[in-house]
Amino acid sequence: MSVPAIEVRDLRKTYRTPFARKKVEALRGVTFTVETGHIFGFVGPNGAGKTTTIRTLMGLIKPSGGAASLLGHPIPSRAARAKVGFLPEAPYFYDYLTVPELLDLAGRLFGVPRAVRLKRADALIERVGLGRARNQSLKKFSKGMLQRAGLAQALMNDPELVVLDEPMSGLDPIGRKEVRDLILELRDQGKTVFFSTHILSDVEAITDRVAIIARGQLQAHGTPAELVAKTIQGVELMVRLAADVDPGELVTGADKVRRIGDELSLMLPASADVDAWLQRAHAAGAKVISVSPRHETLEDLFMREIASADSSPAAMEGRT
Amino acid sequence: MIGRIWAIALNTFREAVRIRVLYGIIVLVVGANLLTIVLGQMAATDGARVTRDVGLAGISLFGSLTAILLGVFLLYTEVQRRTIHSIISKPIERWEFVVGKYAGMALVLSVLVGVFTVAMLGMLLLQGVGISEAILKAVVLSWFEVMIVAAIAIFFSSFSTPFLSGIFALALWVIGRVTPDIEAATRASSPVIQWTTKITLYIIPDLHLFSVSGSSVDGVSVSVHGDFVSWGYVGLSALHGLGWIAGLLALAAVLFHRRDFA
Repeated sequence: MSVPAIEVRDLRKTYRTPFARKKVEALRGVTFTVETGHIFGFVGPNGAGKTTTIRTLMGLIKPSGGAASLLGHPIPSRAARAKVGFLPEAPYFYDYLTVPELLDLAGRLFGVPRAVRLKRADALIERVGLGRARNQSLKKFSKGMLQRAGLAQALMNDPELVVLDEPMSGLDPIGRKEVRDLILELRDQGKTVFFSTHILSDVEAITDRVAIIARGQLQAHGTPAELVAKTIQGVELMVRLAADVDPGELVTGADKVRRIGDELSLMLPASADVDAWLQRAHAAGAKVISVSPRHETLEDLFMREIASADSSPAAMEGRT
Repeated sequence: MIGRIWAIALNTFREAVRIRVLYGIIVLVVGANLLTIVLGQMAATDGARVTRDVGLAGISLFGSLTAILLGVFLLYTEVQRRTIHSIISKPIERWEFVVGKYAGMALVLSVLVGVFTVAMLGMLLLQGVGISEAILKAVVLSWFEVMIVAAIAIFFSSFSTPFLSGIFALALWVIGRVTPDIEAATRASSPVIQWTTKITLYIIPDLHLFSVSGSSVDGVSVSVHGDFVSWGYVGLSALHGLGWIAGLLALAAVLFHRRDFA
């Protein structure tokens, strides 16, 4: 069995406020594993502990408890960092440098030989779409351009594992699509990608596994399919009904009703007798457009898990 | 290891040379050196004496003040602006980062001391005065003083804000320069005060060792204008300075190692 790319066991981080010495638990025993070759999405609201987890993995923060390893090396490990590429959240780089200079610095710190450094930097600058800005100092870069520069510097060591903290942040839809494509390309090259994000559609689109974190604890962990396809939440019945016709009894018993012009959308309970509803629709003079089971989406799951974390005893304790 | 330290040093050099205040300081010191020609002609003693005094004072004073300025800001801004996140997450040890920052600063300060020295020597040559061994020894001693002050500033910057680090570093620099005076002032005091002073002075770099012109060394009066210290004295002082630099950087590295970069 291959060594996991990331292994986190009961990771804890507690801060103390400077004067009051009050405890703030940023991580309360986080446990998960990222297998090699996977794209792993780490999702959670602001303040959930995503960045704290990532910074702990990257050796920027010391854990208060638990253990973690990168590519089999317990953190903090210089040997592991040599094989990991990291994009920090809202990256800020030395603004007096140009992109080639930034990549040269990154390459030197990774110990990449000069000839390889130059060649790889050129390729990465083109890959992240900064070819036309290569002579500009980073001071003149937009947020999106900085994000691209950050991605390039994270790849200067041709890493086995890429850790990206909010890589889509600050990017327009085209930029987000490009980053998604880049992440998929990295996986195709056999690399493992671990990224945090708020954008659930990106997670659903590209990840092999997802973990949801809230209030410093992991709430759910699995493949997107495992997490959201467990139950059918309801059935959506779409019918066409003349705009001036009163739907009358047709809507009675539906969980949710939405009418746009002559189209009527009914959200029926999962236990509803769909055949009976179809007969009622025909009887009311409506034409059935579609009947589709409604599965839980990642967004539903996310909202549910966050709500559950907010009402947990630990969360209540934190509020008092 | 050397490659990583050099990468940080080079980057620190690039960063520091963009600080415009440095150019103001260079203009000020070079201007003061130029002025010594006029002042020298007005002086009762020989003009070269004024040039040497102003030139060496410029190296020591502005070199040390620049060392404090760079030392308290360059490390702090890395943490404040979070540029450190993309550096420390690479395969570099934190002590290598601290040493690299110091090496970069030392490079900038050496260039600065070099420019000040060239300005002073240029003025001396313009006045038809040769470059004495004494003046070279004095420059080497001043350079070491500047390097120690830079290490003091980096040490405070590893755990404190620029304002506090600046105050602490400035205080140590001032106290370090007048250590014999402090010792002399407490000589007539009670044994408790004498011992307290002695212990305190042990934990403060003795910067007076590097600006001895005009005072006595081992009971002999030395002056950069006449009989100055031997190269042996310069060597021993340099070793003393290197010890302080190594100690301060080691402490800074330990403190930096314990920090969280949240």
